[in-house]
Amino acid sequence: MWPPRFSRAQVIVAVLLFVLGLGLAIQVRSTSEGGPLRGARQEDLVRILDELDDRTARLQDEKQRLEGQRRELENSSDQAEEARRQTKQKERELGVLAGTVGAEGPGIRITIQDPSRAVDADMLLDAIQELRAAGAEAIEINDVRIVASTYLEGSRKVRIDGHPVSAPYRFSVIGEAKDLEPALNIPGGVVQTLEREQATVRVTPSEKITVDALRSAKQPDYAQSSE
Amino acid sequence: MIAVIGLVLGVLAGLVVQPVLPSLMEPYLPIAVVAALDAVFGGLRAMLDGIFNDKVFVVSFLSNVVVAALIVFLGDKLGVGSQLSTGVVVVLGIRIFSNAAAIRRHVFRA
Repeated sequence: MWPPRFSRAQVIVAVLLFVLGLGLAIQVRSTSEGGPLRGARQEDLVRILDELDDRTARLQDEKQRLEGQRRELENSSDQAEEARRQTKQKERELGVLAGTVGAEGPGIRITIQDPSRAVDADMLLDAIQELRAAGAEAIEINDVRIVASTYLEGSRKVRIDGHPVSAPYRFSVIGEAKDLEPALNIPGGVVQTLEREQATVRVTPSEKITVDALRSAKQPDYAQSSE
Repeated sequence: MIAVIGLVLGVLAGLVVQPVLPSLMEPYLPIAVVAALDAVFGGLRAMLDGIFNDKVFVVSFLSNVVVAALIVFLGDKLGVGSQLSTGVVVVLGIRIFSNAAAIRRHVFRA
């Protein structure tokens, strides 16, 4: 067999075997290198594609469900935030009424000088009632906050909620000044009654009154909310 | 001898050049390779029998490849491609085995 005879038959056979070797090499390489899908038949590919579609649909459903859940949670947390905000707002408003927080706003200052020591608790109470009737929202007398449970006692030595206060009595009142002032000045009203007792009353409106005397909130012992 | 050199050259060319087959031909290549192997074993047996004819070899090689590819093509069109190609591989495998047995008898006298 050696040296090779270059006959036509030999060459043709060699060419065919060359083609065979080429095909073998290509096939072996593509089988070993290609992905698992490379040699797959058409129906297998269709099946795999179907499965992938199913899986995609399932995952899409799942995604939608989870997104809905997220939306729900976001809504509820928004609502909780809103409720908290409203509660805070309510707390502040009630705090002003109960005297547990400071307050500021437009209003009037009243100074009552009492040289003859004739002013008693009834007159101060009258003044407070008149102010409340005129829409006063927060009142403070000589650094004592006037609230719903405030009481006044004593005729010559006035005490408010047990704190002794003495002339001059300085009121800080938050409210509409042009309602509060006439309410005090009506004929036979607070100012006239006090002036009859030789007390001098000075009322000054102000754009910014600060009421910062505080009371601690007291837990009721007996009264329970009936709601 | 020159035939063996051709085979080796083909394998080397396939490995070195790494040609990319058009995807249309991809399913037919493995079957065609098996069919060609069958033709080669048949040719080897004929050579040992002393009746080797290059014309017969060329025709059987080409027709084997074409028929095998045709059967796979037809199978794919009929929707039984995988079964038919399995069948073709089995038949060609049996033929390769019987040829190999004849070659063995010649070489080892057994």
